[in-house]
Amino acid sequence: MGQPQTIKLMVNGQSHAIHADGSTMLLYALRNELCLNGPKYGCGYGECGACTVLIDGRAARACCTPISQVGELEITTLEGLAQAGVLDDVQHAFVEEQAAQCGYCLNGMIMTIRAVLNAGGAKSFEEVKQALRFNLCRCGTHIEIMRAACRACGVAFEEAGP
Amino acid sequence: MTGFLEIVRSGLAPKGLSARPGQKIENLPDELFLRIDETGAAIGYCGHVDLGTGIRTALAQIIAEELDLPFAQVSMVLGDTDKVPNQGATIASETIQVSAVPLRKAAAQARLILMRIAAARSGVDARELRTEDGLVLGPEGSNVRFAYGDLLVDRMLRERLDEAVLVKDPISYKVVGARVARVDIPDKATGQAIFVHDVRVPGMLHARLVRPPYGGWDHGPFFGRSLLGVEREAVANMPGFVEVVVDGDFIAVVAEREEEAQRIAEALPVHWAALPPMPDLSDVAEALRRNPDTPRVVRDEGDMHAAFTGAAIDLRRSYFWPYQMHASIGPSCAVADWRDGKLTIWSGTQNPHMLRADIALLTSLPEAAIDIIRHEAAGCYGRNCADDVSGDAALLAVKLGRPVRVQLTREQEHVWEPKGAAQLIDVRGAADANGTLRGYEFDTRYPSNVSPLLGLVLTGIVPADPVAVPMGDRTSVPPYDYEAKKITVHDMAPIARASWFRGVSAMPNSFAHDCFIDELAVEAKEDPVAYRLKHLPDERARALLSAVAKRAAWEPRPGPAKPDLQSRILRGRGAAYAQYMHGAFPGTPAAWSAWVADVEVDRATGQVSVTRAVVGQDSGMMVNPAGVQHQIHGNVIQSTSRVLKEEVPFDAVGVAARDWGGYPILTFPELPKIDVLMLPRQDQPPMGVGESASVPSASAIANALYDATGVRFYELPFTPERVKARLDAMLSPLPAPERPIAPPALPRNERARPASDGWGGRMRKLAKTSSLAALAAAAGVALAGVAVGMLPLRMSIAPIQQPDVALFSSAAIARGKVLAALGDCAVCHTAPGGTPMAGGFRMETPFGTILTTNLTPDVQTGIGAWSYPAFARAMREGIGRDGRHLYPAFPYTSFARTNEDDMEALYAYLMTQPAVHNPVPPSELKFPFNLRWTLAGWNTLFHNAAPFTPDPGKSESWNRGAYLAEGLGHCSGCHTPRNVLGAERLKGLYLGGGEAEGWNAPALSSLSNSPIPWNTQDVYDYLRSGFSARHGPAAGPMAPVVEEMQHLPDGDVRAIAEYISSFDTRTEAASAAELDAAAASRLAETAGASQGARIFSGSCAACHEGDAAFMFGNRPSLALNSNLFAARPDNLIHIILRGSSSVVSGGGAMPGFGSVFSDAQLADLVTYLRSSFAPGEPAWTDLPERIAALRNATH
Repeated sequence: MGQPQTIKLMVNGQSHAIHADGSTMLLYALRNELCLNGPKYGCGYGECGACTVLIDGRAARACCTPISQVGELEITTLEGLAQAGVLDDVQHAFVEEQAAQCGYCLNGMIMTIRAVLNAGGAKSFEEVKQALRFNLCRCGTHIEIMRAACRACGVAFEEAGP
Repeated sequence: MTGFLEIVRSGLAPKGLSARPGQKIENLPDELFLRIDETGAAIGYCGHVDLGTGIRTALAQIIAEELDLPFAQVSMVLGDTDKVPNQGATIASETIQVSAVPLRKAAAQARLILMRIAAARSGVDARELRTEDGLVLGPEGSNVRFAYGDLLVDRMLRERLDEAVLVKDPISYKVVGARVARVDIPDKATGQAIFVHDVRVPGMLHARLVRPPYGGWDHGPFFGRSLLGVEREAVANMPGFVEVVVDGDFIAVVAEREEEAQRIAEALPVHWAALPPMPDLSDVAEALRRNPDTPRVVRDEGDMHAAFTGAAIDLRRSYFWPYQMHASIGPSCAVADWRDGKLTIWSGTQNPHMLRADIALLTSLPEAAIDIIRHEAAGCYGRNCADDVSGDAALLAVKLGRPVRVQLTREQEHVWEPKGAAQLIDVRGAADANGTLRGYEFDTRYPSNVSPLLGLVLTGIVPADPVAVPMGDRTSVPPYDYEAKKITVHDMAPIARASWFRGVSAMPNSFAHDCFIDELAVEAKEDPVAYRLKHLPDERARALLSAVAKRAAWEPRPGPAKPDLQSRILRGRGAAYAQYMHGAFPGTPAAWSAWVADVEVDRATGQVSVTRAVVGQDSGMMVNPAGVQHQIHGNVIQSTSRVLKEEVPFDAVGVAARDWGGYPILTFPELPKIDVLMLPRQDQPPMGVGESASVPSASAIANALYDATGVRFYELPFTPERVKARLDAMLSPLPAPERPIAPPALPRNERARPASDGWGGRMRKLAKTSSLAALAAAAGVALAGVAVGMLPLRMSIAPIQQPDVALFSSAAIARGKVLAALGDCAVCHTAPGGTPMAGGFRMETPFGTILTTNLTPDVQTGIGAWSYPAFARAMREGIGRDGRHLYPAFPYTSFARTNEDDMEALYAYLMTQPAVHNPVPPSELKFPFNLRWTLAGWNTLFHNAAPFTPDPGKSESWNRGAYLAEGLGHCSGCHTPRNVLGAERLKGLYLGGGEAEGWNAPALSSLSNSPIPWNTQDVYDYLRSGFSARHGPAAGPMAPVVEEMQHLPDGDVRAIAEYISSFDTRTEAASAAELDAAAASRLAETAGASQGARIFSGSCAACHEGDAAFMFGNRPSLALNSNLFAARPDNLIHIILRGSSSVVSGGGAMPGFGSVFSDAQLADLVTYLRSSFAPGEPAWTDLPERIAALRNATH
């Protein structure tokens, strides 16, 4: 830990100069410096996924990623997914499937599925479940989230059936 | 836009809970329910809040319906104390059932008023007018047509609510009863929603709390009286520091930035008084039985004595429900601002008005000076820490006069959230052989749950006394037709801090009722569903249970379960029914709920999964069926999680789970299939749906477990440990498996045996008879003899003035810079946080503490007066300029290999750096090592100052690597074991593993512990990027070494890799993929089966399990990591406690878990990691000692 310094971050297509110590977690920089509310503080240990952002297109847990680890890599937050007011396919799927109760974990669910798609997608219901296994939801919105994630991944949701 | 119509009611005191018993609510203002303005838009006001359940949408539907206004033109204000009526806490699923009633009436009344105005304006009789889509319309053919807004232009109407107003007949509903999309989800999916965590006020400060060590209690004589003091001055100079606020046992640090507040809170020295013993909750059931109680008989019907006389079936059973967490995904947060006589608090509270009363008490402000603005927060399902942080923020804002945001940490939320109370239920029931239910005696023990606001008790404003509150009575009366029943609720004071949590006391009570009836059915040899139907007097209950059984294709299963005891995987299904009763006894019924659960049990591991649940609900009229379905899903998943996994652990101090590893909840792979059946009852009054589907969960799952195994389970949660232990005790042994439960260890990559090392071998023999220190001291004295006998004293070399920097070429300086990096000069010659190369770093050695010297060219305190010959002599012979011997912690034994060109370049670089005046105190070595001249003897024995000579049998690049690694790189300095005199044991043990700063420096030769051999590419990857996918990351003292090596040209790093890897001549017996697969299979077998397994899964696996290409950063495989295979657990413990950051940007970081895991948890985790990832290695036996030592270590 040392004195704050100026660190450049590329966020949602724009370059920002952050005045902070390099060990500052990316989550704090995004939320408190750039007023981006998509990523949420959930645990600080990378366990729950609420803070997920994309770094270089991959899912990163911003709560335990020091800004010194990011360098020049492109960061995308939930706010940066929609382009010109048009929702990203993943966001669209989550809205269509009403995949939120309190919605606190929603950011992590959407960003994780976006990252899965960026990396080639998921091929089955089981793969979608596995992709989300380290994203926690306490409201029990798993069914709706799975429907949304499957819709976004183009995978059939396995119904319980009557 | 001045015209409006408002519907108000005189203020009423809310029913139900108050913050404290006897709390008075005075001067109630008028309550506003509805406002329509000139735009024609309507705003509804409700004292309840949306906890993620969708009531914002449902309430707007009700208004739109009664008002005949398009849904999109209705919005809701929820839970802002300055604006909304006081309708009590948002609990008990009563928003739609209770709080929406005046709202519906207000909307109906407003519609009539608008029609009246239209009638007056048009002259058409009001009875001939109708409303539609926000318009008042005249009869067919007339041109009477008014928009609502137009009717209100310039009118300011404030009407009293007419409680008798006629509302619509549900038959005519169009908006209510339709599936409507939730209004809040688009904003939540795009990051536009403003959760309370997202509230920012200009000039806002950030606070972190330092909570007392008695974590998770709320009463007792020590409470609020244990703080001895804080050392403010120790942190007052930290960046961003604003203030430390202390009041009683309340401590907050306030800083300009959030991360600064966190760092200061972690650094603040706090002194607490020794605590008295806390309540013993190692056996919660026993603690509940011992806790003093006041029996309250809530139902006593029929002749109990007669009921139990001569009954064919007479059973006594006890059921236990553990403490559970609300476990909100977001730790609580609040913002407060004290400005111009008004205290505004942005809060995630469930009960804004109750909270306002508490904060008035906390701040000594009148309630009218306080506005609580409710924002959505992470779902709470009851009372979490949202209120507590609101109080904390209020306290800080008033004290500091600036807006303050308080954010709890995950650990604090876990420890301090008031827990869902544990419960213990004793049942005695009797039935006739013909199936008549005779008697039912039910005793339930519920430790109370109205936790006082933490700020009030921590500051001592409210005494921390135990207060018993009667809330254990929900659904305490069984739904079945026992002829006689006596229901006793044992009210008792709290033990651990507890509050209401979804299905308050009804879930445990129903668990007992519906497991018990299942047993009676078996005893009566009847089908459990048919038996229930026979004994359920409630017609709607029967209709629901029948419908659910039909939907699930329930096959009658009379009599005892018939498990297949030859099978490892057992399957079964169970049914249960319950109706949640909420509010004060006898309570208000909420929706009816019934379950059929299918489970799968692995007898070998005890793992239980709910594979499918068919869940039916009769909710009466459903305002938004989509919302009801959502709530059913949520309840089924959350309650399944509670039943299978959840139990708050306590240790001697308090709550012993501080993260998701300590308190795991259900994850996606464990998700059951859920089939929801919602009975159409739109003609019936709406019933609460927020909790009902949770209530039958435990009994349905327990009954299914019985069906699968033939064994009854009476205690939650159904963890693998509990289930396996009981099945092992109750069932005949499982036949030997066809395949082993856990795969055997893969063939070990053989470790070479160390070659004989004559000197070391002799010393080892000696060591058997004497302590190491005594041995070292004796050897040191012997050395002195060698020195006196053999060596002349060394001469000092004349000092020079500051060297003439013009003599050095820029090329030499540049090369010297790289060589200095290779030599890690700055790694040892820089104090933590100090100027690079200015010395002062403390090296702890077995011989004492060495303080490294100032390497900058300062003439007085550095090496500015050193000529080149003096420098070269020091580097090659370990002799200082003044002729004194240098300690061999300075690796001149390696540096001696350096050739003249490089030595000169290094000198050039060091001498052209900025001079820093930094006197370093002398080293603190023990006798006789404090006598430097003894080192002459040491050098005679152990130092060979010969320059590097290439090995002609090796490649040029190998020789280049050897020159760099053996010389300036001094790899062997750490990676070769040392003898008792601190000399490297080069014979046979070269690179055979050593120590560095309390870490194990692993062997790099064939003696390596790494599960797969290191090849050249592995070493290259590791040194170049700080990470080898086949081995792991550089961490601890190796991290700065790799960081320095970033200055080296690629060819040199490759050369070093070629040289180093040539010492690991093992062959690869099992591939990385095979090792990973074997570990994954062991993890699957042991998932959830021990505390270590649960911690790994919840705390570690997100980064360490599996291979996820979509995830950023390194994901080190523990199956390939030498630290798991090492003789000592030190490196593993170090890393877990302190974390690590990738040396090269882009690799990510691991947080330290020092403040998360207790010593016991850490020991369990490390034990589990060892057995899962290094199954061929013996268990570490000294974990408690090593953990205690390393927790206190400075590095």
